[in-house]
Amino acid sequence: MTINRREFIKANAVAAAAAVAGVSVPAVASNLITSSDITKLKWDKAACRFCGTGCSVNVGVMDGKVVATHGDIKSPVNKGLSCVKGYFLSKIMYGKDRLTSPLLRMTNGKYDKEGEFTPISWDQAFDVMAEKAKDALKKDGPEALGMFGSGQWTVQEGYAAVKLYKAGFRTNNIDPNARHCMASAVGGFMRTFGIDEPMGCYDDLEAADAFVLWGSNMAEMHPILWTRLTDRRLSAPHVKVAVLSTFEHRSFDLADNGMVFTPQTDLAILNYIANYIIKTGRVNKDFVNKHTNFRLGETDIGYGLRPEHELEQKAKNNGKTKGSSTPISFDEYAKFVSTYTVEYTAKLSGVPEHKLEALAELYADPKIKVTSFWTMGFNQHTRGVWANNLCYNIHLLTGKISTPGNSPFSLTGQPSACGTAREVGTFSHRLPADMVVANPKHRAIAEKIWDLPEGTIPPKPGYHAVLQNRMLKDGKLNFYWVQCNNNMQAAANINEEVYPGYRNPKNFIIVSDPYPTVTAQAADLILPTAMWVEKEGVYGNAERRTQSWYQMVKAPEGAKSDMWQLVEFSKRFNIEDVWPEELIAKKPEVRGKTLFDVLYKDSSVGKFSLDEIPEDRLNDESRDFGFYIQKGLFEEYASFGRGHAHDLAPYDRYHQERGLRWPVVNGKETKWRFKEGSDPYVKPGSGWDFYGKKDGRAIIFALPYEPAAESPDEEYDLWLSTGRVLEHWHSGSMTQRVPELYKAMPDALVYMHPDDAKARGMRRGDLVKLISRRGEVQTRVETRGRNKPPVGLVFMPWFDASRLVNKVTLDATDPLSKETDYKKCAIKIVKV
Amino acid sequence: MSQTKQSHSEQKQEKTHEYHVASLVAYAMPEQVSDVEAAINAIDGAEIHATSDKGKIVLTIEGDSHKGIGKKMDLLRVHKGLINLSPVYHQVLDEKIDENKEENYQEIK
Amino acid sequence: MKNLNLASIAGLMALVLAPVFISFTANSADKAEINTLATLRDHTEIDVQKEPNRIPKVVNKDIKQARNYPMQPPIIPHTIRSYEVNKNNNKCMSCHSRQRTEESQAPMVSVTHYMNRDGNFLAEISPRRYFCNQCHVTQLDAKPLVENTFVDMHSLMKQKTTSAKEH
Repeated sequence: MTINRREFIKANAVAAAAAVAGVSVPAVASNLITSSDITKLKWDKAACRFCGTGCSVNVGVMDGKVVATHGDIKSPVNKGLSCVKGYFLSKIMYGKDRLTSPLLRMTNGKYDKEGEFTPISWDQAFDVMAEKAKDALKKDGPEALGMFGSGQWTVQEGYAAVKLYKAGFRTNNIDPNARHCMASAVGGFMRTFGIDEPMGCYDDLEAADAFVLWGSNMAEMHPILWTRLTDRRLSAPHVKVAVLSTFEHRSFDLADNGMVFTPQTDLAILNYIANYIIKTGRVNKDFVNKHTNFRLGETDIGYGLRPEHELEQKAKNNGKTKGSSTPISFDEYAKFVSTYTVEYTAKLSGVPEHKLEALAELYADPKIKVTSFWTMGFNQHTRGVWANNLCYNIHLLTGKISTPGNSPFSLTGQPSACGTAREVGTFSHRLPADMVVANPKHRAIAEKIWDLPEGTIPPKPGYHAVLQNRMLKDGKLNFYWVQCNNNMQAAANINEEVYPGYRNPKNFIIVSDPYPTVTAQAADLILPTAMWVEKEGVYGNAERRTQSWYQMVKAPEGAKSDMWQLVEFSKRFNIEDVWPEELIAKKPEVRGKTLFDVLYKDSSVGKFSLDEIPEDRLNDESRDFGFYIQKGLFEEYASFGRGHAHDLAPYDRYHQERGLRWPVVNGKETKWRFKEGSDPYVKPGSGWDFYGKKDGRAIIFALPYEPAAESPDEEYDLWLSTGRVLEHWHSGSMTQRVPELYKAMPDALVYMHPDDAKARGMRRGDLVKLISRRGEVQTRVETRGRNKPPVGLVFMPWFDASRLVNKVTLDATDPLSKETDYKKCAIKIVKV
Repeated sequence: MSQTKQSHSEQKQEKTHEYHVASLVAYAMPEQVSDVEAAINAIDGAEIHATSDKGKIVLTIEGDSHKGIGKKMDLLRVHKGLINLSPVYHQVLDEKIDENKEENYQEIK
Repeated sequence: MKNLNLASIAGLMALVLAPVFISFTANSADKAEINTLATLRDHTEIDVQKEPNRIPKVVNKDIKQARNYPMQPPIIPHTIRSYEVNKNNNKCMSCHSRQRTEESQAPMVSVTHYMNRDGNFLAEISPRRYFCNQCHVTQLDAKPLVENTFVDMHSLMKQKTTSAKEH
């Protein structure tokens, strides 16, 4: 502001003097620089760094610096728009505290877990990492090694990491932070359809007659999709919007039917809708008979806590059978949901009967094309997979699926939760293209593509995100590398289950990040990391759209991309360091080679030469390794899915397009899957074909309402829900460093109903403590503003590194998806 | 380059919340115009905006106090190539962030 | 030296580690501070918490702030408390719409806001731009925790023209 005002009064001063002197200084011309050489901006496309919407942005570069960003007019996703975060992308790389040197905790020049962070060279950093990894391998085997990655990794980074851990180190202890975000959605897809990711696409937004938001605050978390939904609602007056949440938020501003329900009762509401459809005779019988099966799922499956927890002791089926189900008939299913009457459901959920009926009618009326959107409300849920299944039930009962506007649509949180975490399979139980490590056929396929001996990939699923923290605490996981996430801020129950593990003297923790995050603070070694357009990469968004970008600027001297770090580190291991003799004997030619040779350079990853990179393009990693590594990693990865309903286009094409939605068959993208005419994989004559299941039928699941892991009681008398905000991306490590975004939303406050505040003698702005059975956090009370919780529930966002709300939350997970429920725990609030 | 021009007098001064800008017209002897211009460019915070054929130079001087502006003008005034130096305009900007008082709220109901 | 910039020091030191290291430990604050480098936590240990600052007031000066680049949506330089923007009302447009700016003297929303998804002009503001707060935000009177070194294109160009003059 001051700079602008200075320029302004200075211009006045100049004009005054020029007038006196009779010298002409035309105010505008004097300031306008017209030399094209100097004003030249180089524009290029990139995927936005933030949410799962996957907007394309144009990035303007001058003198090796990003100077401007704006929404890409050519992108079908956002057509020239960005949200406020997206508009400020230009500034995320320029926080003054960018890390530029590895930092190791040292005392007297030697590594010391209790030592001081000391700058060291990359060579020294890899030395100590290799030493620690080899020690752990020798002592406790591959299971002592682990990695926590990200749905913000590029596809190539995720793929390089999977290969290094699952084939190189031979451990499946690699999981992404997408476990916190999308695992229940994955579970839902696999269980109902046998294949992951949405059947619909964003074109549904312009085709639907009704939208139902289930635990999704799209107005803040998917702002550009919200602009499309708003556009549709306001341009077509017949369109209706229903919004369900446990508290009122910005998305309610557009709601024709806004419903605040008691936490966890969404399960009952979903079953009520199914019951309503059946009772009013609106089941699409033809569709149901041809394309679905009914099954009864196992119940009382526990809450994913430690086995000794009383809730796990009490649960009957928290063991191996928890995901199992038995076939039932339609009549049995109808009987199962018949207990979910409108009276029962209204009473349980607190939503008035007429609102429930209006909601159910949107689904039941065969003339209304309805799209359901959900995000963390469903997924971060101790019955998250169930919630996903139950929503598919409704769409399947009515046949409202896979056609324009009829779409059960799970939205992803992160920019490449689909592309990297799910499609590449960076989960502890997965391999690329929906394959799993437990399946010997899948392992064999991966080993063949990787040209590695049979038995390289271990069959046992590794530690998932929450289990990794528990294993760190218990001293079972000793070499742990965290890339591209901020789990010391993001994971639940920091005090009891996260921090102790990082500081456990048995463990060596490496954190790669561009900035000194809370997680970096808890590490033993910090690696300075290149970000976003400082490297070339590919992201995959929530509608299966794969997008690529080139490196546009150089990273600060000393910072290196996640992919470079992984691949460079692999040079430190000879195959003999990591594989047993009997495995090496099956493929003797790997003897004496490094993991870099075996996994990258001499594999198909290494087959594209530097000549394929346009000369005027930066590509620091490829020029360092001597081959076009991003293309090699992508093409090898793509070979998993081609011909198997996950087809990707040739890599080079993505540099030309604003993304393409897979499967890309004969050069054409796919908008609606499972529907004849729009999906090339559907058997001709079938109409619909859910080919993820052997018989081509999707499953309608009978699953009940079951209570939350922790509910308010006399002492801990409030529900706590946590979540995100529009202005910040996740933990705020990028956006809190942009002054405009910081000043728009500097601190995480606790949003309370004014009556709840009054009852506790509190006013807006008061300093309070949120206390749970696990810990406490201080913040200030907000009784107005964008979130309006009902009496009995409070909301606090988690973006604020200085107020770690996850010290309070509970690490209960969905036992099927292992995803944490961040939306429900019991707390009390006291004045400080 | 801006660092080499850093004036020592400014470093010593206490930081104020003020921003000063003055505009002046310097009248240089025709054969000395480039000398005078060089002298102006050597002064931190001084900037030339235009020079006429007759040797009139429109310049600004920026600083953070009255005194600072005066000193810089004095540096210039003694230049032997200069016929005249006339100040035209001077404005001060108080950049102290004032407390955002409650009464600043303009509630629109 | 509370906000000691460890990162840049680290960068400088990477090459000449041993000799500088001594002065590094001597000059900087105690060990606790070095190990609490998370700048957004104001150098606080993870298991403790600093007292949260007060809720800042909304900057309400009505003075335009320069944009970082031409396409940046301008910030809102005034409070918007109790402004209703929902499917029935849009309080912002009661001053910023084309018809109202003469009376309100508020800046008119940019012409792009009258374009639909396909780039055609509409008589009224486009519904896709309806919720102003998706892009335009107020600013609270809070001091950023970390400086941002972003340089806008005009400063870069100016640097280039100045250096061109000097050489």
